[in-house]
Amino acid sequence: MSRPHVVKDAKGKRPQFYDAPGLDQAMSMIMVLANEVSVLHDRLDAAERVAKAGGLDLASGIETLTLDQDALETREAWRQDFLERLFYLARKDASEAARSESEAGYRETIAEIAQF
Amino acid sequence: MLNTFQQGPHPMLPRATHDEASRQEFTKSFKGFIQSSLLPGLTPVYNARVSKLFEREHDRAPVDRRDIRSGMVRDLYFQHYASANRIAQELLWEATNLSVDRELPDLIAKAKAFSSATPAELNIPDEFDVPRYVTALDIHCMPGGYTTEVTRDDVSTGILYDRGVYLYAMGYMGPLNDDMGRSVCNYIKRNLKGFSPRRILDMGCTVGHATLPYKELFPDAEVWGIDVAAPQVRYAHARAAGLGLEVNFAQMNAEETRFPDEHFDLIVSHILLHETSGKAMPRVFKESNRLLAPGGYMIHADLPPFDLMDPFTQFILDNETWYNNEPFWGAMRDMDQVELAERAGFVRADVKFDTAPMAVMEFAAQAAGGYSEEAATAVAEREFTAGEYAPGGGWGVLIAKKPAAAQALAA
Repeated sequence: MSRPHVVKDAKGKRPQFYDAPGLDQAMSMIMVLANEVSVLHDRLDAAERVAKAGGLDLASGIETLTLDQDALETREAWRQDFLERLFYLARKDASEAARSESEAGYRETIAEIAQF
Repeated sequence: MLNTFQQGPHPMLPRATHDEASRQEFTKSFKGFIQSSLLPGLTPVYNARVSKLFEREHDRAPVDRRDIRSGMVRDLYFQHYASANRIAQELLWEATNLSVDRELPDLIAKAKAFSSATPAELNIPDEFDVPRYVTALDIHCMPGGYTTEVTRDDVSTGILYDRGVYLYAMGYMGPLNDDMGRSVCNYIKRNLKGFSPRRILDMGCTVGHATLPYKELFPDAEVWGIDVAAPQVRYAHARAAGLGLEVNFAQMNAEETRFPDEHFDLIVSHILLHETSGKAMPRVFKESNRLLAPGGYMIHADLPPFDLMDPFTQFILDNETWYNNEPFWGAMRDMDQVELAERAGFVRADVKFDTAPMAVMEFAAQAAGGYSEEAATAVAEREFTAGEYAPGGGWGVLIAKKPAAAQALAA
């Protein structure tokens, strides 16, 4: 049996605050992400407090942790991977330039395939 | 002063997970940040950029809130401010709804159990016409508005409102969101000495935030909360029972209730009038007059009229009309409430605007989460600042007394 769910969207046209198309949506996405960063921060804080209540001073251990070579490499790899994903559209843009891909070319392909 | 106010727990609230609670807390922080850090920048932006540009373009200075608005909406600082406000409002409901949705079937069952265990009445008719001013838009962008029911015996929008309004008010309304009701009760006790109402009606009560203090402070009175939204009064009834108070609730329209003439000694409303309409508001005053026993009081706590403030303040406040689905917010402030009361049958000399000081200091005494003496004092002693939530010091109230029987005959 299906269970009920709450309503997700409020009735009433949403105003547009910015002149640039898409910027309103981008700003809301940025704030949703900021919210999740804040949640992660709180969660780590909670982990430290719970560990401390259990006798493990995680916060001090973190402050005095010395990163060994393995840790340095693992973290740097993670950051580079993260940045690459963050800038995937820049990568795609460069790749299009390298292949001389264009919107006109894309249209031509559609027309060509239809005839093929 | 850091705002660490926490909502008081009661059995009808969903139990948020760690991350849900944190997500909700962020929306409260975001609102606080906008108010303390972005809002103040609007004044220099207006003075230094917007008003000067307006003068250059129109060969005259901006004179009213419409002029100010026409210039401000084109300024990037204002766009960021208004956009951030809107996003904070949307995130607040979105974050709260996660907990409501996850626990909805349980919460509906819990509401039924609480409601069936209390002798207090819950009156929801089979047929009811909800006025268009409540359903045309989802007021203050709350998904589903006040009235949507997604299933039988639904309380989802009641729960959403209970938690969401706490975040919206950033805790300034106290752990139980009841500062307005509590403040008006205190006002009555201090200023209407000897007035002891036997029956009290709270119009447009939603989930009963402001209704419950009346039962607490006048325990012998029969207290009723009415609202046009079934899920709100259904939830209100269960919430009151969960908090151990016998308060009656009914789905009724404040323009035309089902109570007999002269049935109540005290009729109150809290932030109701600005969510009605140009035609409904005078009818609410008339209905209040009909329902009041001679010598009884009508007290509406809502927004002060625009003519009491400067155009820039009006402009800031009117943003709610344009950006927060509050269609009557601006127009209501242009109405002459004293005249409306007079036309509804009250005597002009017995009608006045007054201030009911905020009861926030009492929350410190209750030792509720975050409500320290210092934090409560900081709220109570603020100056009024347009665009901030809650006034400095007190709530504006319109108060009118119905003439006692002998006076009524003489008139």
